Amino acid sequence: MSEPVVVDRVTKRFAGHTAVDALSLSVSSGNIYGLLGPNGAGKTTTLRMIMDIYEPDSGSVRLFDQIGGGRTHSARIGYLPEERGLYLRMRVLDVLVYLAEVKGVSRRSARLKAVEWLERLGLTAWRMRKVSDLSKGMQQKVQFISTVLHDPDLVILDEPFSGLDPVNSQVLRDTVVDYRRRGKTVLFSTHIMEHAEQLCDRLCIIARGKKLVDGTLAEVKSTHGGKHVIVAFDGSQGSAQQVFADRRLVAKVQDFGQQAELELAPGADAQEILKALVASGARLARFELASPSLHKIFVDLVGPEAATAAASSGSEDRSRA
Amino acid sequence: MHKVWAVIRREFIERVRTKWFWVSAILGPVLFAGIIVFQIVQSMGGAVRNIAVVDSTSDKLGDQVVEALDASGSFGSTLAPAGPRVIDSLRALVESKQLNGFLIVTDDLVQTGRAEYQASNLGMQTIEALQRTLGRLVVKARLEQKGVNPGVVDWAQIRIALDQKKISHGRAVSDSAAQSFFTAYFMAILLFMAILLYGVNVMSSVLEEKTTRIIEVLVSSVRPFQLMLGKILGAGAVSFFQFAIWGVSARVLLSLRRPIARALGADPTSVQTMSLPHIPPATLAVFIAFFLGGFLLYSAMFAAVGAMSSNEQEARQAQQPVTYLLMISYLSILGLTNDPSSTFARTLSLVPFTTPIATPVRWTAGSMPTWELALSLVILVIGIVGVTWIAARIYRVGILMTGKRPNLKELMRWVRTA
Repeated sequence: MSEPVVVDRVTKRFAGHTAVDALSLSVSSGNIYGLLGPNGAGKTTTLRMIMDIYEPDSGSVRLFDQIGGGRTHSARIGYLPEERGLYLRMRVLDVLVYLAEVKGVSRRSARLKAVEWLERLGLTAWRMRKVSDLSKGMQQKVQFISTVLHDPDLVILDEPFSGLDPVNSQVLRDTVVDYRRRGKTVLFSTHIMEHAEQLCDRLCIIARGKKLVDGTLAEVKSTHGGKHVIVAFDGSQGSAQQVFADRRLVAKVQDFGQQAELELAPGADAQEILKALVASGARLARFELASPSLHKIFVDLVGPEAATAAASSGSEDRSRA
Repeated sequence: MHKVWAVIRREFIERVRTKWFWVSAILGPVLFAGIIVFQIVQSMGGAVRNIAVVDSTSDKLGDQVVEALDASGSFGSTLAPAGPRVIDSLRALVESKQLNGFLIVTDDLVQTGRAEYQASNLGMQTIEALQRTLGRLVVKARLEQKGVNPGVVDWAQIRIALDQKKISHGRAVSDSAAQSFFTAYFMAILLFMAILLYGVNVMSSVLEEKTTRIIEVLVSSVRPFQLMLGKILGAGAVSFFQFAIWGVSARVLLSLRRPIARALGADPTSVQTMSLPHIPPATLAVFIAFFLGGFLLYSAMFAAVGAMSSNEQEARQAQQPVTYLLMISYLSILGLTNDPSSTFARTLSLVPFTTPIATPVRWTAGSMPTWELALSLVILVIGIVGVTWIAARIYRVGILMTGKRPNLKELMRWVRTA
């Protein structure tokens, strides 16, 4: 199987700190690959190095099994940066044609495809309007069209879901799935584990510029985290907290209030916990044996502070010198 | 190359589509038409001023004054005998616009050269015409008092017609000093404005891509240098287009001078004698070459300024050193035109940052050897290469940077490490 993206031990240092530290990853053709990590983990920097926006201090990037990064292959790659923007004073159609042209698409075919895409997303009436006349949601659509207009073989999306309204979020999700079905490759970064869990064939978790784990979703789940139980309460919790605190039964707890995810202590039996919970007087709505959620693995790997930071803010890699 | 071409085209089309482009494209010809009309009106000698002459001289000099004023063609005058209320009633006439003004002549005129003129409007030309007319009259009267024959006095008073010719590159050209000064001055201002205006255009275009974050998508497809080059060439093409519009409309207006003169009721043949600055092709070539050079030099700097700023305000501050650099030559225009071969002027035309304005001015003023012109062109080209090299490095790092503006030390690091 060919590998559209191969990143080989790339390192990038900015004044004062190392953003990406000897990171390697490879994305197979036809896969959806998730690059996961908390804020400041180096996701954007990694994608920027793949896209030739930054030059790595050491290491190399190969795309489509050929030398050269994103700029060399720009006609085959769709890139959606984390911070999005369009020329506000340009006409919608002109922006799309221009952004395709600089990728190396001919003017004529760029125009045809742009018209086609605007039609598909219901923006035909707006094609001669200025971008600034469009609503935020429509601008997101235009941005999205500009990423996939030239029918790229590889799509690289940096935090694609951040700031999207539900409608566009769904359009994006559908397109990503559709891309895989057509044998194309998607590489995206996110700090929202639910997205990764829903979409990724393979994933890679990084923190502080280093890779912590990579593999298929199943591999990552089986190698990290033991047996898990999900408990949901129906009103009264009784003295469930005492059961959770019993280290003979429960190794770790993630308490969400009305719901909790428990990691069983080595050798403990889930049935024992169920008995103890019933005895504690808690009313249970759900008691389920489960594999750990990606979120749980993520938190275990990167540490709770970093994970909380990741969940509360939606961006990274701003103002680096 | 296809990609650079796309950048150039976008830059050109988006600029030409703005209303400011067309405002200034139209303003140029309107200004020029104004100058032509002004010249025609001037050649008509202006309107005839209607004045009264209050005569309180003992020897009836007033009659001669009225006669001389009427003969001058600029005045229509009537004699008003001096009386107790005459000044007041004349003032009332001026007030009601039946009269432009009145002149009071007494015996003082011949004895001490004093007279008085009261009017609603004291135009320079009117005053000069009055002084000239009265002057001739007084000289004649005073000579006659000393017994000189009036015929001799008339014979002695002749008008001097000074035929002015400028020596331009070894040839005498029919051109007045005022004209070559005017041409050089006009060119300098045009160069200054155009370089500043279109340089700032490049800057704001760079800044727009940076603040809207489109830059990231662009740089992942186009090399930063290609992008900067495309922007500069695109803005340059717009400025040439602007000049072309002005040039063509100026030619059209010039060919329409006769119909315009006729429409204004002036003698159409008079426009032929109207003076127009003589601009030989060589001067035009020098002008274009140095405009192009100056534009490339300064817009590269403006591009770097745009890249290192993260909003309009910062950019306005950061562009000041560049603007000052351009200002030096602008502020020296007067010095340059007054003495184009001074050491000062020679120095300015040998410094890359001032040569784009200084050299065309010196050349137009006609005091520049060809080898010096060649030398300053070479210096300018070297300057462009060096400045573009540095600017491209600042641009490359700057466009991806957000946060605070770099200080000089950081800039140096960018240039070294980029």
